[in-house]
Amino acid sequence: MIDILLITLTMSLLYMSIANRLATYLRILVMQGLILFGTTFLTLTDLNTLNLLLIMLETLGFKAIAVPWFMNYIIKKNHITRETEPYLPNFISLLIVTVILVSAIILSSFIEEEFLDKTFFVVAFSTIFSGLYLIVSRKKIITHVIGYIVIENGVFVLSLAVGNEMPMLVNLGIMLDIFATVLILGIFFNKIGDVIKDPDVNLLSNLKDN
Amino acid sequence: MEKLLIELFNLLTLATILSFPFFKIKGKGIISLIAISSQVVLASIVAFSVFLNGPINFSYPGSWVTGVIPMRMDYLSAWFMLVISFTFLTGSWYGFQYMKKYKDQTANLTMHAVALMFAYTTLIDLCIVQNGFVMLVVWEIMALSSFIIVIFEHYKKETLKAGINYLIQSHVGILFLTIAFMWVKIKTGSFDFQAITDFTVSQPAIGGIGLFLCFFVGFGIKAGFVPFHTWLPKAHPAAPAHVSGIMSGVIIKIGIYGILRMLLLIKTDMTVIGYFIVAISVITGIYGVMLAIVQHNFKKLLAYHSIENIGIIGIGIGLGCLGVGFGNQIMTICGFGGALLHTLNHSLFKSLLFYSSGNVYQATHTMDIEKLGGLIKKMPHTSYLFLLGALAICGLPPFNGFVSEFFVYSGLFQALSSDKVVPILFLLFAIIGLSLIGGLALICFTKVFGVVFLGTPRDKQIEVQVPEKSMSYIPLYFVGLMIVLIGVVPFLLAPFLIETIQLYLPSLNFSGYQHLVLMMENLTSIGWYSLGFIALTAALYGLRHLVVSSRKMQEDNTWSCGYIGDTDKMQYTASSFVRSYRKLMEPFLLIRKEKVEASGLYPKAIDQVTHPGDKVEKWLIDKPLTFIRGLLNRFAFLQNGKIQFYILYGIIFIGLVLLLPVIIHQISVWILFLNQL
Amino acid sequence: MISLIIILLTSLFFMGIVVRTKSIASGRKGPGIFQPMYDIFRLFKKGTVYSKTTSFIFKLAPTAYLASVLMAILMVPHGNSPGLISFNGDFVMFAYTLAFGKFLLIISALDTGSSFEGMGASREALYSMLVEPALFILMGSFALFTGQTSFQGIFSLLHFGSDISYLLGALATAVFVMMAMIENSRMPFDDPKTHLELTMVHEVMILDNSGFDLGLIQYTTHLKFAMYGALIANLFIGQLPLTFSIPLFFVIQVLFAIAVGIIESFRARFRMGHNPQYIFILSSVALLLFFGILLITGKFF
Repeated sequence: MIDILLITLTMSLLYMSIANRLATYLRILVMQGLILFGTTFLTLTDLNTLNLLLIMLETLGFKAIAVPWFMNYIIKKNHITRETEPYLPNFISLLIVTVILVSAIILSSFIEEEFLDKTFFVVAFSTIFSGLYLIVSRKKIITHVIGYIVIENGVFVLSLAVGNEMPMLVNLGIMLDIFATVLILGIFFNKIGDVIKDPDVNLLSNLKDN
Repeated sequence: MEKLLIELFNLLTLATILSFPFFKIKGKGIISLIAISSQVVLASIVAFSVFLNGPINFSYPGSWVTGVIPMRMDYLSAWFMLVISFTFLTGSWYGFQYMKKYKDQTANLTMHAVALMFAYTTLIDLCIVQNGFVMLVVWEIMALSSFIIVIFEHYKKETLKAGINYLIQSHVGILFLTIAFMWVKIKTGSFDFQAITDFTVSQPAIGGIGLFLCFFVGFGIKAGFVPFHTWLPKAHPAAPAHVSGIMSGVIIKIGIYGILRMLLLIKTDMTVIGYFIVAISVITGIYGVMLAIVQHNFKKLLAYHSIENIGIIGIGIGLGCLGVGFGNQIMTICGFGGALLHTLNHSLFKSLLFYSSGNVYQATHTMDIEKLGGLIKKMPHTSYLFLLGALAICGLPPFNGFVSEFFVYSGLFQALSSDKVVPILFLLFAIIGLSLIGGLALICFTKVFGVVFLGTPRDKQIEVQVPEKSMSYIPLYFVGLMIVLIGVVPFLLAPFLIETIQLYLPSLNFSGYQHLVLMMENLTSIGWYSLGFIALTAALYGLRHLVVSSRKMQEDNTWSCGYIGDTDKMQYTASSFVRSYRKLMEPFLLIRKEKVEASGLYPKAIDQVTHPGDKVEKWLIDKPLTFIRGLLNRFAFLQNGKIQFYILYGIIFIGLVLLLPVIIHQISVWILFLNQL
Repeated sequence: MISLIIILLTSLFFMGIVVRTKSIASGRKGPGIFQPMYDIFRLFKKGTVYSKTTSFIFKLAPTAYLASVLMAILMVPHGNSPGLISFNGDFVMFAYTLAFGKFLLIISALDTGSSFEGMGASREALYSMLVEPALFILMGSFALFTGQTSFQGIFSLLHFGSDISYLLGALATAVFVMMAMIENSRMPFDDPKTHLELTMVHEVMILDNSGFDLGLIQYTTHLKFAMYGALIANLFIGQLPLTFSIPLFFVIQVLFAIAVGIIESFRARFRMGHNPQYIFILSSVALLLFFGILLITGKFF
């Protein structure tokens, strides 16, 4: 069952590379949150109840509900246009994400570690790099945040991979990162969104010193 | 006896050339045609006797320079001799008719005939010679004679440029071959090919791989692997049609022969070589066909397709090497079998396609497919033969292209049941590559056939000279017959193929032999099913004909949703056919577009022209050349034309030569002195 | 022999179920299930009009297309019993025989010398090129899974044990369904009902065919759907005896037809420029399937 969920996570990455609208991205984020919720429920069976509850709250509450809702709110409030604006055509994005997936598979076949469950490694690797690719290839700031959250999901899967000994620290670190990103961006948007109407990263470069 | 035949073969060339001054131009043509035909007969007799009786060895005592010159004809040589001879036969008969319109240029034609005969003789000799030095000499003669037959129309600047590009690149290849042969000679002291085996057996694997890479680059430039392919798309359009067919069908194959021969001789880690060859071949295949799709020059398109097919042959060779490396005999059988069969098949259908393009050129005097159209009504023989070649080159059943591609596919799929992940992924990569190549070839040939032969003429000013002369398509029918035969009854070739494949399986165990027999049975059944397919189509067509002719039938204009405008101009052109493909693959292609936008209320006639370039050529050859030229231009002041300066350079050189040992001696004395301090 | 008969039987009612489902989904009653066959018979009785621009290729293409699909059907097995043609690597011949039919249909479209047909031909060539790797990767994954390389060998040994194999079975079914939709040019890749420039892929290639030829081409579309349905059914039949497998086959075909109807009714057509990536995603998903099978067979660890 775990493998099924992880493979579905990878398929969501493929779909993300060709999606055209921001709303689709948010729906995929919700789906990824739910998948991670299911995965933690099935993998981490050795933890005590408090820890498990915390983790499930985090995945379900934050990744699946709070963050997408907050993003939606920002998008509506700032009248951000519906299109994700990629630099490269979607077909090339699909090819690149496929290549990332295949390289992850090849790379992981060279690892001889017994304690590492390779499926987790492949999925985590491809998610992280796809998230990075999303940031690099899209113009809008909001897609940067979405890409960042995808990277977070990837790191989460990787931490699941090293077994049930996931320390609280990593968990709290993830939550802190989510907090930090969303908070800063929320402030940023609400303050600056009133002045500059176009949430375009290129305009940020106008803030250079010279 | 065979030794006598081979000597007779070589003497025939010399005798014919010596008799040239006694004939007028038409006589020279007939004499060379008869000579080549008899040479083909001789070569075939020798090849068949090798297949029937076994390998033939003899040797000539060479001089102290070369050592003994052994001549060994084994099954590999015999197979290639047959492939070369058949294409040369059809090529020379077709060429005889093609060259008739140039019969005023007598000196040019004589040179051409001489070079053609030399090319054939040296190609056959290359299959037999097993001495490094002699092989290099014969290879050089072959390169020079192919250069001469390419630049037949040397009064055109483009042809000359293409020919010189070809000459220079061949010599880069010869450089690599020389390095490789000299390496072996220095290490073992002998030019004999056997020494290569002895040398690599005693070396660590890396030495053998390095030697193989040298040979691969040298032969690969001739064969046309990416990134060594840049001479191919220039040389093929420049040459006359029968030469293009011969070059594409045969002269590139001698590179493949070289690689196959070296694979037999070099004993090293075959897995690494196998991965390398498969990787380069998949890239070659996909790149070749990707660029072929956007070309507008008929022959350039076919040239890029040759590159793609060399990629397919390479995939087969790589698969075979992997099989030898892993000890998996199915992979070896299917890989080498597929490669050898595809060599034969490619020479057949590629020469057919090039001869057809020659016919089109003779009729319309243009090679630009955007101007052609509707030729099927005026040149039916050429059109249907081209359709046959196009179906075969896409690898579609029931013709021969499918048989060889199937052979390679079986090997790839059967090898998926190995244990390690990396080979499996590599094989999957090869499978994806091969299927993409097939799909892309489909786009390309539907475009070519549809635009050139179907529809209506796109440029009304092109005059088509009809009717077709009979000699221009009779050799083509001969080739077409072979295509259909190999597709339908491939078991005719099975005994020859089995013998040749077994060269690569030194220790053929029982299960391996079973697999071999099973593969041949598979191929035979494919042949019968192909025949059944043809029969089914014919039967259905007959049924349809009965039904349709009993009902009302009338002819009218093309309906096309009720639009009756100037349909000739509204037809799909080749560029528009591939437009969606071109937009997808834009990062990989180098297309220069000249577009004129419509402006104003009543715009004038506008057009849009695309010029396809080659990215590999731009980055690998043009940019370095420009850089080197820029660098060397800074030294241009040295060549100022005044003879006094040149004499001054000579004086400086002599002075240096005399003084240099003295200076070096002084420096060593001083160093010794400083050391003692 | 059995698979040929039941596929031919299915082709008689398949399209009728699709049309009926679409009608019911849009609130109408819809025509009878055999109506498409009646339409084809009506076409068979009509006369034909040929364009002056066309040549023999135009007359040959519909027949060759039907012959190629029939030949491909001969290779499809039914669970344990092989098709009339069965040998190692026959799925390669399957794919390439279908490609032969497509080749001839594309050039017959270019034969008419009209821009409409040329547009359809160019798009059809591109889309079939993009969908080829998907079939090969899929069959490669199954060959990896079962160790066999013929259709019959693969399908008879295919069984679903662990959880992940059910997911892979579902994925493979989805890929086959999508491939069937692409190859037959249905929604969401192409709208067979509109004849506007922006949406035509397959429908427009056959604009100039009439009478018996048009009937042949339309019947071949039905056959192709039935063929893909047979392939999907084979994923589930495995080694069942005939008394179970034949009813199961028909049930799966009917379900497939209903699914096609539902997809057609509820999905909008994709933007034409976006079609290539939606088609290529099939190959990526097939790659994922391959990876999954690598997992199952334990070759990955």
